[in-house]
Amino acid sequence: MKPSRAGWALPIALQRATRIFGANKISMIGLAIFLIVVALALLAPILSPFDPLDQHVLDRLQSSSATYWLGTDTYGRDTLSRLLWGARTSLVIGLASVAVAMVIGSVIGIVAGYFGGRLDMVIMRAMDVLLSFPTLIMGLIVVAMLGPSAINLIIAIALTALAPFARVARAPTIAIKEREFIEACRALGFSDLRIMAVHVLPNVFADILVMGSLWLATAIRIEASLSFIGLGIAPPAPTWGGMIRDGFENILESASLAVFPGLAILLVVFALNLVGDGLRDVTDPRLRGE
Amino acid sequence: MTSMFPRVLLAASLAFGVSGAAHAAKDLVVGVPDNLTGLDPADLNDNLSQSAARLMFEGLYMLDEHMKLKPQLAESYEATEDAKEFTFHLRKGVTFHDGTPFNAAAVKASFDRAGNPENHLKRQSLFVMIDHTDVVDDATVKVVLKYPFGAFVNDIAHPGALIVSPKSVQEFGKEMTRHPSGTGPYQFVSWSADTLKMKRNEHYWKPGLPKIDTITYRGVPENGARIAMLQTGEAQFIFPVPPEMIKSLEGSSTITVFDEPSIFIRYVALNNMRKPFDDPRVREALNYAVDKQAFLKVVFSGHADAMDSPMPPLLGFYQKQGSRPYDPAKAKALLTEAGFPNGVTLKAIQTQSPSMLGVMQVVQAQLRRAGINLELEVVEHATFHSMIRKDLGQVIEYSAARFPVADTYLTQFYHSRSSIGTPTAVTNFSHCNEADQEIDSAAIEPNIEQKKKLWKLAQQKIMTKVCSVPLFESLGVWARRDDLAYGYKYEGSLSGGPVINEMTQFK
Repeated sequence: MKPSRAGWALPIALQRATRIFGANKISMIGLAIFLIVVALALLAPILSPFDPLDQHVLDRLQSSSATYWLGTDTYGRDTLSRLLWGARTSLVIGLASVAVAMVIGSVIGIVAGYFGGRLDMVIMRAMDVLLSFPTLIMGLIVVAMLGPSAINLIIAIALTALAPFARVARAPTIAIKEREFIEACRALGFSDLRIMAVHVLPNVFADILVMGSLWLATAIRIEASLSFIGLGIAPPAPTWGGMIRDGFENILESASLAVFPGLAILLVVFALNLVGDGLRDVTDPRLRGE
Repeated sequence: MTSMFPRVLLAASLAFGVSGAAHAAKDLVVGVPDNLTGLDPADLNDNLSQSAARLMFEGLYMLDEHMKLKPQLAESYEATEDAKEFTFHLRKGVTFHDGTPFNAAAVKASFDRAGNPENHLKRQSLFVMIDHTDVVDDATVKVVLKYPFGAFVNDIAHPGALIVSPKSVQEFGKEMTRHPSGTGPYQFVSWSADTLKMKRNEHYWKPGLPKIDTITYRGVPENGARIAMLQTGEAQFIFPVPPEMIKSLEGSSTITVFDEPSIFIRYVALNNMRKPFDDPRVREALNYAVDKQAFLKVVFSGHADAMDSPMPPLLGFYQKQGSRPYDPAKAKALLTEAGFPNGVTLKAIQTQSPSMLGVMQVVQAQLRRAGINLELEVVEHATFHSMIRKDLGQVIEYSAARFPVADTYLTQFYHSRSSIGTPTAVTNFSHCNEADQEIDSAAIEPNIEQKKKLWKLAQQKIMTKVCSVPLFESLGVWARRDDLAYGYKYEGSLSGGPVINEMTQFK
């Protein structure tokens, strides 16, 4: 049975969510890995042994050593330093684009679901159009049109993720708007805006959050893919996708150049998917009350 | 019994596989770093596409493997004393791939089309001196120039002046670039994204040639992938080979790596018309901020030579000018003097092509040490070529080879006549005009000593007034599988490396 949750009940819902999530050890591991990566990215200026842009031409293509822990690339730049700084790029672009998609997507979805009718129809068909593009292609089109830069990457990825968020927000909104407490709100003369913001949003927020954690992984992957095909942030800024691309040039000489950033992406995407699975359990009605 | 069956099949397929490979050896696969930009010879400005066009089209004259002028579709020519009229006697019995005959009318149509400003073809500058072209008879064509131009035959030996079938132009118009029809040893089959396929021209006018059935150009931007293609035998010829990988290829018993001084130059053009490069001190600062020796010794493992003149040493009239040493402190001082005490931010339009992007990333890091922030706007290779020709660049890395005489190099790269934005634009991205007078006088000076002096002065001026940052020559390292023979002794080419031609064959 679904417990009825009004806006003011959020803290209780949150408590239960933390309990369910905390009980899921695998998700906790995912969260821990993700937080470590975030910490490493934040501390990159302190942790990096070298300037990620500085080229030590005499030490090109070195393998791991005491000086260069993960070796150097074809320009003599320290791979470890670039990985750490690259984490910043990946996370910032990932988080920013998902945040943008989450906010705009939820607003669109809630509005569509709440008002229904023709407006819903128009909005959701527009979302279907967005959805019809494979994620990477959408990003490609936008970046190719606007030119590669951090902001444009964020716009591109956000646009890709918009439609799924709108869908996820719309479905529960349609269910909730028929509920008694919403009717009560209407009877009390609350404005539509207030009902949507204070009473509908908290009830769809959990679903959106799960989606967000999963999309964060996808966003990081898209960013890396776009950088890999040369549509990412302009060189010499370190990005994981860009590092794989550069490393590819020397894959026969030293495969590690492409492998390390690849592993970094793998690790973060894996960790975020674990977190997403845990969050899904939280919101899965079948697991509630267990 | 049933378990035997797959083994028999396997053995059979192996046997067929081997014989298949022997037959496949007639297909030559060339691994190249970029996709082609087109196949209309009059509308190409990148060496790669030109090298492909050269296989399908021919000119009246050409530069042979010894860089000497040699008749191709013409048999001979006469020029009037004043060098204003050139009469070409054409080879008879040659047909285009589309079956139409090659004749004087075709030559006239080709020249008229390429030289017509309304057509906006990239090689129009090769034809600016032509006043009109006359068909004398079927096998004789007369070109009348607006002004005396002794080097006219050299001029039309350029790949931009290859003769195209008039029928293909009529039929396809601008789209001719996708339906090329010439008289060359190879005939167009198909071209899609990264793959160009050509087949043997059965009616080629040189008897018994060409010797290869089909040629495939494959655009493979990743150096590693291209080298793997060569190693596995998927390709028989590739370029360029990144210098750090030369060692690994040289160990192979089936692959020959080629590396010799060439006339292929690489430099960074600085747009002298735009701030901050209107101040020569800023241009000079950039020259001090680039560590050419680090480039050569380390990045290219010695497989390049630093440029110490705007033109390569293999050309006549070359005079060593010396280049500015690496001195970031001096660069900073010059910038301060020019009013940029906190450094300066510059923007380069940059191709994605790895070999060029790689060089620029090193330049970028070196400039950074002198307080110069170089932003790279990285775009796809064909976009790069079109953007820099719209004069959108402030800093432009360029690499090219030209007809091997001082005049072509200095005029096309550094004479104001060749400045981007002018109707006669070639590749003067710097908008340099410092040595116009010397170049013009040297070109027509009959006295050899005086000529030498003028060319020396021109080189000197371009270097001291700083029109660009000359980097190096001879970066092209090429590799081939040993079963491929060029068919001639390589001594240099406009492409900076050996070219495939009708003589090329499998051993």
